[in-house]
Amino acid sequence: MKIDIKHIAKLAKLRIEDDEIPKFEKEMENILSMVENLPPLEGSLTIDENNCMELREDEAAPSLRRDEAIGNAPHKQAGCIVVPKTVE
Amino acid sequence: MELYKKSATELSQLIKNKEITSTELVKATLERIESEEKSVDAFLAVANEKALEKAKEIDEKIAKGEKLSPLAGVPIGIKDNISVKGMNMTCSSKILENYIPPYNATVVEKLIDNDIIPIGKMNMDEFAMGSSTETSYYKKTKNPWDLSRVPGGSSGGSAAAVADGEVSISLGSDTGGSIRQPASFCGIVGLKPTYGAVSRYGLAAYASSLDQIGPFARTVEDTALLFDVIKGYDTHDATSSKFNYGDIISSLHNDIKGIKIGLPKEYFSEGVDAEVKTEVMKAADIFKQLGAQIVEISIPSTDYALQAYYIIACAEASSNLARFDGVRYGYRAENLENLNDLYEKTRSEGFGDEVKRRIMLGTFVLSSGYYDAYYNRAKLLQKQLTAEYADAFTKCDLLLTPVYPSTAFKIGENIDDPLKMYAGDICTINVNIAGLPGISLPYGKGKDGMPIGIQLIGSKFSEKLILNVSSKFEEAVGGFNKVAVR
Repeated sequence: MKIDIKHIAKLAKLRIEDDEIPKFEKEMENILSMVENLPPLEGSLTIDENNCMELREDEAAPSLRRDEAIGNAPHKQAGCIVVPKTVE
Repeated sequence: MELYKKSATELSQLIKNKEITSTELVKATLERIESEEKSVDAFLAVANEKALEKAKEIDEKIAKGEKLSPLAGVPIGIKDNISVKGMNMTCSSKILENYIPPYNATVVEKLIDNDIIPIGKMNMDEFAMGSSTETSYYKKTKNPWDLSRVPGGSSGGSAAAVADGEVSISLGSDTGGSIRQPASFCGIVGLKPTYGAVSRYGLAAYASSLDQIGPFARTVEDTALLFDVIKGYDTHDATSSKFNYGDIISSLHNDIKGIKIGLPKEYFSEGVDAEVKTEVMKAADIFKQLGAQIVEISIPSTDYALQAYYIIACAEASSNLARFDGVRYGYRAENLENLNDLYEKTRSEGFGDEVKRRIMLGTFVLSSGYYDAYYNRAKLLQKQLTAEYADAFTKCDLLLTPVYPSTAFKIGENIDDPLKMYAGDICTINVNIAGLPGISLPYGKGKDGMPIGIQLIGSKFSEKLILNVSSKFEEAVGGFNKVAVR
């Protein structure tokens, strides 16, 4: 199967340079030809009632301070995270 | 005293007997790390001062006569996708080069509560994507038995450091074999616990329905004690289980007469090296001598597990790794025009090729028009495979299989052929897909002198039995605990 690497990369928010496309295309096609031969299976996918995830109680508890929470942001100002313009 | 050859249990006992102090042990460990790292490259960061501070606290507790846990005072290596507060966590990726977690993973909290000392962060494949630790952005870890070979992956640093006696215990994570395969390559013990047995809070997510944290050690006893420390319910991981294991330590040496061990025939296919199969069959004979009954089993869907695995794992990865966007943490590209530019440039410059491949494969199988053909079918296969294992465990108690089709391969041998690299995971991925526990035990050597591993797989939450049977095997072969020689 032919894969449109440019399109997939765009969906995945990746930028693949033109000279890298043939390499990724070939590798992805090889991987896809491997995963393609799954047998046709009947049946439906339901959530296992005996193994449902449990949410914790919504209770107030100690948490990170604001400066800790945004401490790793690459660009911050006055307690806020700075990003490039989001609206044209 | 050659402390680096001792097990964690022995080391902790020496500390409690006041034959050594925890501070002395940490200093000896730091010296060993300094000399061995020149050749092995297992560590990404070493916590010198913090580890010594913690050791001092433990020595004070000992001086006061406090009763401490079985592994107290012993240093441990932590895979670099597990958060240790205040210590750089990179997941071996450029995109997290400067990330300092502001909190501890639940497993790290548990280590600290048990006076086990995090001494460093271990190299791995970038975001745990790989089987050789070669996709790390920072360095290539070497196999301590032969420095021209890979240690396996993705938890290669955690395994190599234990095999080399830099530490006696470490933590890794296993999504498709990332604990068991490096344990096998490095000749040590590695346990992938049941899905839900160990909290993943603080573990950087790769494939959330498959990821599990687990222990590495050179003895079964250390493995069991470390698993005992990290297991348990956690409100911070919604998939965490409330299963009560009871006492898993006192049963380690129980008699295993009458136990049924199945050999699933699909695991002994042509793709597995003859020398590996021979060792597994020799191990089966040892289990027989211990009173086990060996039966043949079939898990028919095994042949499709690899396909299902790469679809499910990559689909989940493409979603999980969306969080690395250059906004809140990690690397951010420069000279940006708009938000989309920020995302695309940051991610393209920050991720390595293997991560990009898996994100794109995941994006593709989840994209409009392909979801049913790929993702849905893979999930149905997962359901079928899970049922086949459940059926197998009505006929036997444990399964015995190879861990990997070969011994450790050479650095650079498979890195340019992703498909060949993926195919090697054939003996380990089923356990993740079905959510089962599995252990890798060192047994025998290949013609190249490299360690071979055997795998025991159990039904969900059967770690107590797995560890008991492993311990009896260890006794029968005269003990594992061997630091690598080269």
